[in-house]
Amino acid sequence: MSALSNDMLETAAAYALGALDADEAAAFESVLATSPELQREVESLREVSGMLGAATAPVAPSAGLKQSLMAQVAATPQLPREQAPAAPTEPTAAPSDAAAPSHAAAHRAPTLAAVSATPAAAPAPIPMSGLASEKANARWFSRPASLVAAAAAAVALFFGGVFAADLVNPAANDQQVLAQVVAAPDATVASSEVAGGATASLVSSESLGVSVMVFDGLDELSSDEAYALWYITGDEIAPAGLFTVDGSGEVVQVLDGEFVAGTVVGVTVEPADGSPQPTSEPIVAIATTEA
Amino acid sequence: MHPDLPVATDVDAAPVVDQATALLVRVADGDQRAFSELYDLMASRMLGLVRHVLKDHAQSEEVVQEVLLEVWQTASRFDPNKGKAVTWMLTMAHRRAIDRVRSAQASRDRDTKIGIRDLGREVDTVSESAEISIEHKRVEKAMARLSDLQRQAVELAYYGGYTQSEVAEMLNIPLGTVKTRLRDGLIRLRTELGVAS
Repeated sequence: MSALSNDMLETAAAYALGALDADEAAAFESVLATSPELQREVESLREVSGMLGAATAPVAPSAGLKQSLMAQVAATPQLPREQAPAAPTEPTAAPSDAAAPSHAAAHRAPTLAAVSATPAAAPAPIPMSGLASEKANARWFSRPASLVAAAAAAVALFFGGVFAADLVNPAANDQQVLAQVVAAPDATVASSEVAGGATASLVSSESLGVSVMVFDGLDELSSDEAYALWYITGDEIAPAGLFTVDGSGEVVQVLDGEFVAGTVVGVTVEPADGSPQPTSEPIVAIATTEA
Repeated sequence: MHPDLPVATDVDAAPVVDQATALLVRVADGDQRAFSELYDLMASRMLGLVRHVLKDHAQSEEVVQEVLLEVWQTASRFDPNKGKAVTWMLTMAHRRAIDRVRSAQASRDRDTKIGIRDLGREVDTVSESAEISIEHKRVEKAMARLSDLQRQAVELAYYGGYTQSEVAEMLNIPLGTVKTRLRDGLIRLRTELGVAS
């Protein structure tokens, strides 16, 4: 049975009902993408909310609606079926990707324009009206099986007594660690907007002593800079790792060091090789509640 | 033949669901005739839901048109193993409707009094929808099994398009309480409606 934390389950329910605001939804979707268990829960809750939707009285559309829609359909290309699952999230190597918007704001291009600008042969990014929620909705119904398998394997790894964060290739494993933290019985998510429109979510588990930051829409830095993570407890500021971001703006980053509930996690921009203490104002700081 | 076999309660609703899924799969292959049939099957249901949230008929039609065009474009992303086409399409329509309501927040009076008054009307409308009687009756029955407070929270969130924070503000209760009511309410509905968890 489900061992998802109460916080996760409540957020899943609010999400299925459409009761999260845009930032909360985007943050939850970043987490959702990594947890098959959470996906199953949302899938099931959505079926329930869908029934609420189906219970409203039907209203006949005006006669012209179908006509104009069919005309649009005849002129609008469709997204091709996805190729064999390769990338865990959106395709990143597609030729169309250079033109693909990487920020929520840029996603809001008119649907038709976005579609016709996309070469039909490319495994295109989802060119919907671009709300993060819709993007992930599409992603949701086409989860590559490989990622689900990888996340399941990660859980197996954890219960085998090996902690994935200690494995050799940390970049490949941050997603897997995130899946574990999400599945922890005391997992919590706290989200905040980052200056510039990005979203940041901190997923943490006191019992695992691990926290993971998930970003969407984060700006790329110049090559002599890096993002720095900090655990802040009272006056004490401990470095918790450096990371960079590519044009996708999406990052899943496991923090170095032990997570203790009640800690504040801050992010600053530092020189590429890091600093012993923050040298700039945090771009975002997320507080956690004490256990 | 076997009178004591359990009666499937959704036997009448099932064909519509299966039909929509079968059509959507054909739409993914570029079948415009299938899309036309899917429109006939789903447009009035989508409009019913969207107008329930948005109120304004003209805006609701716009939203339905946008969503159906998106259905055409993204049909290939629908995975019939992961859910029903009806759910997929209604979820998209609901999302677009609440996005519209929220972006029009300034022009829409969303204070507590209006919200509560709206709620009363929502309930009436739901109970009048005899056209899709099987699903409707099941949902109505299931909703009746919620506590008043759970039902209020679920209705404000889903039919009213309010965020959980807005619901907390309107009802002047802590956010945590709203979250719990939404969760408990939805779980209760899931049980009552016989959806697998």
